[in-house]
Amino acid sequence: MEILIYGTTEMSYLVASRLHQQHNITILHEPGELGEKFGNLDVRIVEGSGGDLAVLEHIEAKKSDLFIACSLLDEANIVACWTIKKIADTETICFINKASLYKNFSSSTHDRYHVKYDIDSIIWPEKLLTQDIFRIISVPEALDVEYLAGGKAKLFEYRIKEGSAMIDTSIMDCKFPKNVLIPGITREGKLFIPNGSTTILLDDKVFFIGLSTALDTLAADFFKHDKKVKSVSIIGGGSVGFMLAEKLERTDKKIKLIEQSQERCEFLANSLKKTLVLQGNGTDLELLQSESIATADVCICTTDNDEKNLLCSLLMKQLGSKRIVTRVGNIQNYQLFEHVGIDVVVSPKASALTEVLNRVQVQDVDVLALIEGGKGEVLRLTLPDTFKEIQIKDLKLSANAIIGVIIRGKEVLIPNGLALLLPQDLLKIFVMKEDSDKIKEFFFR
Amino acid sequence: MKLPLIASALGIILLAFGGILLLPAAFAGIENEYFAVIAFIVASICSFALGFLCRWYGRLYRNFDLLKRTDGLLIVTLTWVVVAAIGALPYLFFGLHPLDAYFESVSGFTTTGATILTDFSLYPKAFFFWRSLTQWLGGMGIIVLFVAILPQFGVAGRQIFFAEAPGPSEDKITPRIAHTAKALWLIYLLLTVLEILLLTLAGMPFFDAICNSLTTMAAGGFSPHPQSIMGYQNNTVTWIISLFMLLAGASFALQYKCFIKGKVKALFGNEEFRFYLTIITIFSLFLFYFLFNTQANTFSDSLRDSVFQILSILTTTGFSSADFALWAVPAQAIIFAMMFIGGCAGSAGGGIKVVRILFVGKFLKREIDQLVHPKAILPIKLGGVTVQDDIQRQMISFLLFYIVLMIFSGLTVTMIEHDAAIGFAGTAATIGNVGPGFGAIGPMGSFGFLHPLTKIIFIIDMLVGRLELIPFLAMFCPDFWSFNKN
Repeated sequence: MEILIYGTTEMSYLVASRLHQQHNITILHEPGELGEKFGNLDVRIVEGSGGDLAVLEHIEAKKSDLFIACSLLDEANIVACWTIKKIADTETICFINKASLYKNFSSSTHDRYHVKYDIDSIIWPEKLLTQDIFRIISVPEALDVEYLAGGKAKLFEYRIKEGSAMIDTSIMDCKFPKNVLIPGITREGKLFIPNGSTTILLDDKVFFIGLSTALDTLAADFFKHDKKVKSVSIIGGGSVGFMLAEKLERTDKKIKLIEQSQERCEFLANSLKKTLVLQGNGTDLELLQSESIATADVCICTTDNDEKNLLCSLLMKQLGSKRIVTRVGNIQNYQLFEHVGIDVVVSPKASALTEVLNRVQVQDVDVLALIEGGKGEVLRLTLPDTFKEIQIKDLKLSANAIIGVIIRGKEVLIPNGLALLLPQDLLKIFVMKEDSDKIKEFFFR
Repeated sequence: MKLPLIASALGIILLAFGGILLLPAAFAGIENEYFAVIAFIVASICSFALGFLCRWYGRLYRNFDLLKRTDGLLIVTLTWVVVAAIGALPYLFFGLHPLDAYFESVSGFTTTGATILTDFSLYPKAFFFWRSLTQWLGGMGIIVLFVAILPQFGVAGRQIFFAEAPGPSEDKITPRIAHTAKALWLIYLLLTVLEILLLTLAGMPFFDAICNSLTTMAAGGFSPHPQSIMGYQNNTVTWIISLFMLLAGASFALQYKCFIKGKVKALFGNEEFRFYLTIITIFSLFLFYFLFNTQANTFSDSLRDSVFQILSILTTTGFSSADFALWAVPAQAIIFAMMFIGGCAGSAGGGIKVVRILFVGKFLKREIDQLVHPKAILPIKLGGVTVQDDIQRQMISFLLFYIVLMIFSGLTVTMIEHDAAIGFAGTAATIGNVGPGFGAIGPMGSFGFLHPLTKIIFIIDMLVGRLELIPFLAMFCPDFWSFNKN
């Protein structure tokens, strides 16, 4: 695939580094803003503006299959997408960071009147992040939540806490409900795919994949499920904090939101209906204590400053918060955040990357979700017609992977070793990132 | 301020008012009350003469586009004072003392409904028709009427329109003010006609149906029957009037949207209207409880009287379906509390207005919340929209002025009359444009025997209450009176 990326932001680096080994990537950048790290990538780099027809013609943009505009300037991104549409009918993805512009391009009325020259997809990372956080906290106790097959199957991540019946038992011996699998475990910051004899230890973060009903039984048996999320504390009233509070208000949760800027506070208080907006610094211990921020069922740190988010999360943890979701801006900090014990680390960039990868993958393969900041993936692929019928235990996979869900027609199955794979089956496979290509190759030989 | 400009504007209004005075004259003619015809014709001639005099004095100023805010306030105040004076002229012909006549007229135009009459049998039908008509004209607002029917005001109409009823929100239903005024009068007229029809069908004599409908929609309270609505002894009539009082106390702009434009949500989605309904329901239940338990009334009578009386006092109409001055003290206390609330903003009702009460409730709640969360940002919202700081200040100061004025007037009257019930209940009933108070000035009583000074104070209370204090207060500022002769 020929991919043209406009802009040299961290986002474009992430996309390029993820795709440069399988696809031909050209990076177009404004003069003088190229970072050193781009030198390590196997890509073509051209200097010029995304809105310049001559430059686009010169680099034969006509041949590209996908155009991703992710420079810092929203307006430049939009113009670049429109410009390339003049040359060729390339699929365009445009990154946007402002709410007003996002609404212009992504609403139901916009889709209804979609014309050839319109931008194909708009990605607003913060919006995606808001949706991710909302999904995660809508399930009590679970650290991370992904919906598969329209919600019929789910992927949950739980931390094994002291006193759990699962500690020191091997997966084979655990009495799980039917239709539940453990596709992955994160131990001391490392994700791996377990087998039946793997023993679950204290403080492991364990993934469960299965039918929704089965997972609910699991949650009821092994995790305290009766506690619904009733109160939420949000630190940082930027776009994410605001949209999240707006979304949560509709589900009748008690929300406290801390924001530093007086002006922004007034905007938030005027726009939100029931949220208690507090003006102050999220790292002000006295404020956190007097407003008992940490006693909420979930605490979310979503300022745009990694240091502040980290400090804030640690303060909350010290104050006894049960569940902390923290936003990380710089992907390199991801590991550190996990390491110091923050329950869920989320990043607008990771959310956006999932979205981009969905567009790029060929041959009926989609990335449904990135796990643990991209260390693992849930792939969705449809078996080709030429695929020979086989039982899963006889399948000689070239790498470690777990087939989590099989969708056959309208049926959703959680397979065990005896299950049959048929052509046209839709599979959801849990796989480590580095093995992802091997698995794809295996099924599409 | 330019005196000739103000005189010119007043002149137009008086000329139009002279025309309106021919209406009761015609009515008297149909009823063969020829003495009354003379009374109204004389009043009409006076209005025309004064109108022409004002027009002549202000002959150089025919264009009102440059009307200032203070000019607007003075025009509105003068209109109310002078129109009430001319409206009092016909009463003189029936042997009323000039002060009593003016009291009755002001009580009519301000839709208060307090009366100085004691014996209703002395007067002809045209007399009662005029009493009811003054209330109907004052109910929607005389200025609103003239802005609607007189094209001369043009742009200036906006200035005086809002000077007459300075509610907390400028609620225009059409872009142009003259159209808004017409729309408001249209819905007002339609509802009145509908009520006349229903009352006639329910068995009330046609003349009484007209008079009672005119005063119900105006939230006025004059009735041609000496015993008010109680005198008709008809349950259906009582319930029909309850319904129309409910409508008279709700914003006409919203009713226009709801009934004419078909946007039902505009009315029921309105926070003030819902709060208004809540107040009615809760206090009716309270009153019902007291009436049913302590007055030994039947179930249906208690229900009828409690709903009717709450509506009557809350919307500042002042009708009575029972003599509430004879009720037990708890029931009277509830009635007294209603006098302070009043109708919705933009309705025919007077008083403090539901929206201001709602606001004050939220304001106090915020103060308490702020104690618990010192760092929280807590805006006050009405209907989901944050109330701006200057409007907040206006509403709080309005309430403060209202209370100060009430205490001042209440104490003065108490000293004059040696009766605190007359002093405070009378002040609350007149400043809120309710009508009947308690004791001697109760629903079956009369204001006629009061000391002339008391009457003057009540006249001022009624006018000030109807104009929502603002024009009155502005007059205390010395700069208000800086006239510009050029």
